[in-house]
Amino acid sequence: MDSSLHEVWQAASGRPFVPAIGKDNQFLFAFLLVVLGLGLSGAFALNRSLVNVPLLGVPASLALALGVVYMFYHVHHPPIFRAVASSTRPLYQLLKSIGFTNKVHVEITENGLRFAADHGRVMQGVAHWSKSLFTTYTANIPRSDDDDDDNEVLPSFQISLPALLETLQIFGATDAAARQAKADADPYRSNLRNYRPDAFSNQTLGMSGTCSLSYTQEGEPFSIVLEEAGVKTTCNLTTYMAEIPDDIPFDIEDISFKIITQARVLLDALGEIAPSQPDKLTLTASRREPFLRLSSAGALGSSSVDFARGKDLLETFTVRDTKWRQTFKFDIIKSASEAMRIASKVSLRGDRQGVLTGLSFLDFRFVPYAENDDEDDEDGDDGEGSEAL
Amino acid sequence: MRFKTDLRNIRTFSRLVAALNSLEKIAWVRLDDETARFTVIPDTGSQVWASLSVNLIFDNYSIQSAEPSNTINLELPLGPLQRALRSAAGGNQASLRLTKRDGLPMLSMTIHAMTKDGGGPEPRGGRAASGFSGADPNDPFGDDPDIFQQESLELTLKREREKVITQDIPVRVLHPDTVETIMQPKVREPDVHIQLPPLLQLKAISDRFTKLALTTSSSSRPGGGPERNNPKLELSANMYGSLRLRVAAESLDITSVWNGLDNPELDPGALSMPVEEHPSTRFREEGPDKWATVRVDGKDWSRVLSVGRLDAGRVIACFSDDHALILYVYVPHHDDEASDDVVTYYVSSYSA
Repeated sequence: MDSSLHEVWQAASGRPFVPAIGKDNQFLFAFLLVVLGLGLSGAFALNRSLVNVPLLGVPASLALALGVVYMFYHVHHPPIFRAVASSTRPLYQLLKSIGFTNKVHVEITENGLRFAADHGRVMQGVAHWSKSLFTTYTANIPRSDDDDDDNEVLPSFQISLPALLETLQIFGATDAAARQAKADADPYRSNLRNYRPDAFSNQTLGMSGTCSLSYTQEGEPFSIVLEEAGVKTTCNLTTYMAEIPDDIPFDIEDISFKIITQARVLLDALGEIAPSQPDKLTLTASRREPFLRLSSAGALGSSSVDFARGKDLLETFTVRDTKWRQTFKFDIIKSASEAMRIASKVSLRGDRQGVLTGLSFLDFRFVPYAENDDEDDEDGDDGEGSEAL
Repeated sequence: MRFKTDLRNIRTFSRLVAALNSLEKIAWVRLDDETARFTVIPDTGSQVWASLSVNLIFDNYSIQSAEPSNTINLELPLGPLQRALRSAAGGNQASLRLTKRDGLPMLSMTIHAMTKDGGGPEPRGGRAASGFSGADPNDPFGDDPDIFQQESLELTLKREREKVITQDIPVRVLHPDTVETIMQPKVREPDVHIQLPPLLQLKAISDRFTKLALTTSSSSRPGGGPERNNPKLELSANMYGSLRLRVAAESLDITSVWNGLDNPELDPGALSMPVEEHPSTRFREEGPDKWATVRVDGKDWSRVLSVGRLDAGRVIACFSDDHALILYVYVPHHDDEASDDVVTYYVSSYSA
């Protein structure tokens, strides 16, 4: 007896609620019930007798009660996701670093939003909007329809990434315009102080307005409502069927090398190589000097950057074998440079095969060119940018 | 035919010319005793009729013409005028004059400006010639008189010198008959008239919308022809103080709404019909859901809104539903409030 209630409770939590009446028909059904209830009670009022109590009165009250409940249920349907932010700048910066595709895959979790961009199955960028970036964050993850396991299917969809990026920039645009106007009127400001944030700008004072994001249910648009300075902007981004890009396999158990360094250092190194417009970038990590070498050969010549004094530049440096060497397409590595710009540290990891679950804000994976010999390992580089350091 | 004037409010004038120049390179100017009228009619895009009272931008104005009612009609390139005004903005005083150079009519702008530290080598040379700067034989540091040259303290030292800059703008003098053929577009009475929010704010958002429309169109239909490159913005207003800007595309639908704007009262005296019959009355009666909508070209609209840099006062937009949009930009007068300096934009609407 003591455990049965507990079992029922457990079973109930494991079993998703499936409404007997489909979501689309709820309103009609509720309306019919209410009308029926009213009709029956009317008939009962006209002809009040003891016989009519079970015949008309009881059904009338039942129909009314159920109808009202369904009506409420229809109207009050909690949205899958809703969040409010007071600034879109961090959101924009995080997303911009994976802004190399047209469509981005969005997944809603209890802890934040996960954006995955995929470039021809050779590069993946993942950005997380952590819950902490928002002032309020609620996600009602619907239970899976599958009765047997209680795995939650995270709501996911695709939206246009450039459109989302542009929309986020609307927030604050009016403030910038006002600042520009002020700068025009004041030559001192325009020449000397234009680059500085204004201490009295709305953004600094934290009264710039609100940005709320919501996704009510599957098939509905992902909507962004920006409110500031008397303007209310509503953007409904069409959501497309989720085409879940499989993660590029990366084996965290089988890491060949691991490096953590300042993001700035790596960005500078890439900046050194970029002018020669190389096609490919070869990454070599070895136990002896040079510890880490980025080298490239392009039409205009070849160049390489060594991190020979590894101790000063590299915080963590482990190489399992004596040497790890892979070649990547330079352009795709360069796509991560936007992420390095806003990150303070980068962690580079190379593996042989497997899957990695990134917990950082940003996660990039690259597939190298196949070597001539038969070794077709899937290797990945994982650049993590973490801001709290 | 004589025309000569000093310039005032150069900053305002310069910004106005910049705003006009963004729409078209050539403007027609009609000057008479009272007003200076600038007309810009591009091949495609919005037309502008700027009518400024003479004492807004001119001072010591004198005009003499054989034409009826003392008018001069000029066709002038806005680019050179803008450059000349930019250089005049740094000066103290500028004047404008119609002249002839090599037989060609020119609008000649003379700018008096001060340059810093004009007295470089020249006063020193004069001083040296006067024999003042001979090396003192008792001075232990005086072995090189050219380096340590002593000069007397001159409190009235002129560090600034005046320079005169002349900027010539080639013009064509137009015959009044040809000018009379340029007519202001006739537009029916507006359905909705509303005071716009600050133009730069509107421009900031409109520009983002245009970009948005571009990103979505290029991503969904690459290389779809020139039509794709000119995204259209849907602009609506009602008689209940709301303005709405919208872009709808396949991948998104975005709307910005301003509320609490002013719908100015109509002046019954200025109307050709009773207020009750005016279309705006009908729009007001039909409630806040009755919108007058026009579709404007994003890039053209952005150029129109650049007039916001004029520190304009009120801007009234008149919507003719599905037809046209007229913007009346009132240029503020610094001296006296009662003025009717207005820049009128005729923005055409595109069909859906």
